[in-house]
Amino acid sequence: MLTYLARRLFVMIPTLFMISVLVFVIIQLPPGDFLTTYLNELQAQGEAVDPAKIEFLKRQYGLDQPIYIQYAEWAWGLLQGDLGFSFEYNLPVSDVVGDRLWLSLVLNFSTVIFIYIVSFPIGIYSATRQYSWGDYGFTLLGFLGLAMPNFLFALILLYYANVVFGTSIGGLMDPEYINQGWSLSKMMSVVEHLWAPVVVIGTSGTAAMIRRLRANLLDELGKQYVVTAHAKGLSPTKVLFKYPLRMALNPFIADIGNILPQVVSGSVLVSVVMSLPTTGPMLLTALQSQDMYLAGSFLMFLALLTVVGMFVSDVLLAWLDPRIRLQGGVGN
Amino acid sequence: MISVLNPSMSRIHRAFSGLVMTTGFLAASVLVAPAHAEVPYFEDAVASGSLPAMNDRLPEHPHVIDFAGEGKEIGKYGGEFVTIMGRSKDIRMAVVYGYARLIGYDQDLNLRPDILEALDVNEEGNVFTLHIRKGHKWSDGEPFTAEDFRYYWEDIVNNDELFPVGPPRFLFVGNEPATFEIIDEYTVRYSWSQPNPFFLTELAATRPPFIYRPAHYLKQFHENYRDADALQAMVEERGLRSWAVLHTDIDRPYKLSNIHRPSLEPWLITTEEPSDRFVFVRNPYYHRVDPEGNQLPYIDRMIFNISNAKLVPAKVGAGEVDLQSRILSLKDYTFLKQSEANQNYDVRLWDVGAGAYAALYPNLTCSDPVWREVLRDVRFRRALSLAINRTEINRVMFFGLAQPTNNTVLPKSPLFKPEYRESYTDFDVKAANQLLDTIGLDERNGEGIRLLPDGRPMEIIVETSGENPEHDDMLELIGDSWRQVGIKLFVKGLQREVMRNRAYTGETIMSIFNGIDNGLATPNTAPDEFVPVLQDSLQWPKWGQYYQTDGEAGEAPDMPAAKELMEQYRKWQTSNEAGQKQAWQAILDINSENMFSIGLIGNVPQPVVIDKDMRNVPEKGIHSWEPGAFFGIYRPDTFWWDR
Repeated sequence: MLTYLARRLFVMIPTLFMISVLVFVIIQLPPGDFLTTYLNELQAQGEAVDPAKIEFLKRQYGLDQPIYIQYAEWAWGLLQGDLGFSFEYNLPVSDVVGDRLWLSLVLNFSTVIFIYIVSFPIGIYSATRQYSWGDYGFTLLGFLGLAMPNFLFALILLYYANVVFGTSIGGLMDPEYINQGWSLSKMMSVVEHLWAPVVVIGTSGTAAMIRRLRANLLDELGKQYVVTAHAKGLSPTKVLFKYPLRMALNPFIADIGNILPQVVSGSVLVSVVMSLPTTGPMLLTALQSQDMYLAGSFLMFLALLTVVGMFVSDVLLAWLDPRIRLQGGVGN
Repeated sequence: MISVLNPSMSRIHRAFSGLVMTTGFLAASVLVAPAHAEVPYFEDAVASGSLPAMNDRLPEHPHVIDFAGEGKEIGKYGGEFVTIMGRSKDIRMAVVYGYARLIGYDQDLNLRPDILEALDVNEEGNVFTLHIRKGHKWSDGEPFTAEDFRYYWEDIVNNDELFPVGPPRFLFVGNEPATFEIIDEYTVRYSWSQPNPFFLTELAATRPPFIYRPAHYLKQFHENYRDADALQAMVEERGLRSWAVLHTDIDRPYKLSNIHRPSLEPWLITTEEPSDRFVFVRNPYYHRVDPEGNQLPYIDRMIFNISNAKLVPAKVGAGEVDLQSRILSLKDYTFLKQSEANQNYDVRLWDVGAGAYAALYPNLTCSDPVWREVLRDVRFRRALSLAINRTEINRVMFFGLAQPTNNTVLPKSPLFKPEYRESYTDFDVKAANQLLDTIGLDERNGEGIRLLPDGRPMEIIVETSGENPEHDDMLELIGDSWRQVGIKLFVKGLQREVMRNRAYTGETIMSIFNGIDNGLATPNTAPDEFVPVLQDSLQWPKWGQYYQTDGEAGEAPDMPAAKELMEQYRKWQTSNEAGQKQAWQAILDINSENMFSIGLIGNVPQPVVIDKDMRNVPEKGIHSWEPGAFFGIYRPDTFWWDR
């Protein structure tokens, strides 16, 4: 088990390195850089910019250096925990990110919990009562969540939250709490605003989870050992939870690695639509304005989350199912 | 020295003499009623002695706003107003809305001294004497004097490390920089050997150049005034490259990223980036008063909430703002009007200052030699214009509330002539077909599409910046009618940077973009949008490049009409006001005849949402960036809450 862990950990290093190169290249791919984008925007609003000033700014920001040197500086900074400098905010990236990382984690964590809480019972229910009305009903609900465009669902929820509960539209708290210290009423305001994005992002993830659990459980339920257990007079609930459910749990855990990035990237869109103070909208604007270190740091954060998620799920799986670690880390 | 030739200058003088009169009146009234009621917001601070009383905070002669002339009523202090911005960098809108300028436009677009007590211009228009208000103070209570102008001129723009490119262009005439003199503590002078027509309008601009900086504050970050080691320590602590970067960083009068920087604006920023909510509080030393001598602004706090642009109409409809125009557009109008019933707000439609909402730009400097030849034929451009059904666009997309127009100045501009707006805007397929036939483009292929002289079918690819879906919709409609004259239209959506770069290099045949910005041009505003001097003008990017780079890149204008435009532009720069008007008129005449850009639709009204209890916001206004500063010229510091 230890060698397995060590190998898994070691593989993460080149992975992250490759990702960092890719991230940097992709951010640089669109034509122009932060300054040209910035100038275009100013000009669009009718503001004139002195063309001679551009060269000066380029030097000031180090944008006149070849790209590999820019990359090396950024990557070296990352290793030392320095996320680089945001052109747009004129601040170190770590200062810009602030509360957002934390609120992102709260949002994404809540969403993952929501997905599990919803899909676990529904999955079990619809497997044990296959082709019943309940099975069809819940499955339909799950598919609706999957099929409905997130932004549309978000807008509808926001509208009704405003009409019915008087919740302010968008954001993760009422505007007057922004920039204030944490207090009970601020927490309550966050909770009041949190449910809508959680439901929106969550519902799109539940359908897959329900179907997977249902299918796996159905496979197990027909097997000989279940029949035997029933025949021996064990209560149906006990049979279910003791044997087939445990076997069917495998994809639930294997999915941790997938669900994390899926939720995180899904939440970017929803966060933009709902104007949530998470990393998502900032990532998007950073990409648009080619604020490359800010965007790069966010992308690296997402990549790290994915890689760590994969690691956790691999470790859990190896612990749950010895066959996996005996095969030497190749997934089932 | 103080005699004046050109009318706009004399307006400044009239304002000046008017000011002397009102301040005289003020002085008299001070004798009768010694002190005005203190601003409630500052009562505690004044009582405890941490802030001087109102009369000691105001300049000796504050700027008295002409309430009668502007149709405003005396207000009450207090409250806050909320508006929404799309991105946190939009906090610079506070400088726009605040609109405190050395000299600024009033509601009728006359230039009047504002921060300055007076401004004298000599007859030739080359010597400008600026008079600062005695006792005017920065928001930290330090005096605002000639030193602040000197600091900007000597220690900022003429410091090689801080400003390697030198002073901004409006402080040059030709290659000659301004001569800056300090007359006394409250008077400074800028002069050139030739007239400088850009100086005043630049000072009044929506994004002003800030030729004064808080010297007392900035000196601690400047090499000339600070011990090198101490400065270096500060630079290193912030992880910056040099003291110059630090100084630039600290001193951002427009970007407002430094909440400690003293300012002369009505409201001061108190929130640091990044945030989703920015709070601005009143400046205790602000220089404007109402006719009764009450210090402005009336409203204590201005709040910018940051929100995704797509949510803004919904948030406005839910009553979450007090004043909003930004991000809203005519397509939100019906929704806003519908929600008006449940909320305490009014939706008003303001006129816009842009000459046209959208226009087509045939690229006269495109690289394709055949297309270049065709596009440069004025009859071809006229035919294209005649084959556009602008009335249909107006009805389909703007509820008929907009107006078909060319890409030119608005009727409110003193330079306006009806033919500028109307020529070749009728929808006349027959005339267009005839024009195209007479040019010799009369061969068609099996589909009925005309052929170019080299035999290619006439397919025009119109490039868009991909930002405004309305542009695509318009092109859809235009494509239908162009089909009737044998021209095929394709739309190519790009990103703004890509679109511009393609136009610069001559790859673009035609593009669609916003129309000209300053539809309210006056004789003394620069006619840059109508002459080939800007690379960004999509109808002649290479000519603009040529002018902007002093001939190092791009191509010299080689069409007679373009040469004539440049000639008139030179005339405009060196003339007095009468000559400027003549030059402007000639420039507009040439543009109108030649249809260099093809305007589509204009006067698309701007919805402005205002809380019903907010006073002194005009019923009808002009919503324009330059000149106008959106709400700026209506002086948000005079808005107040009646509740």
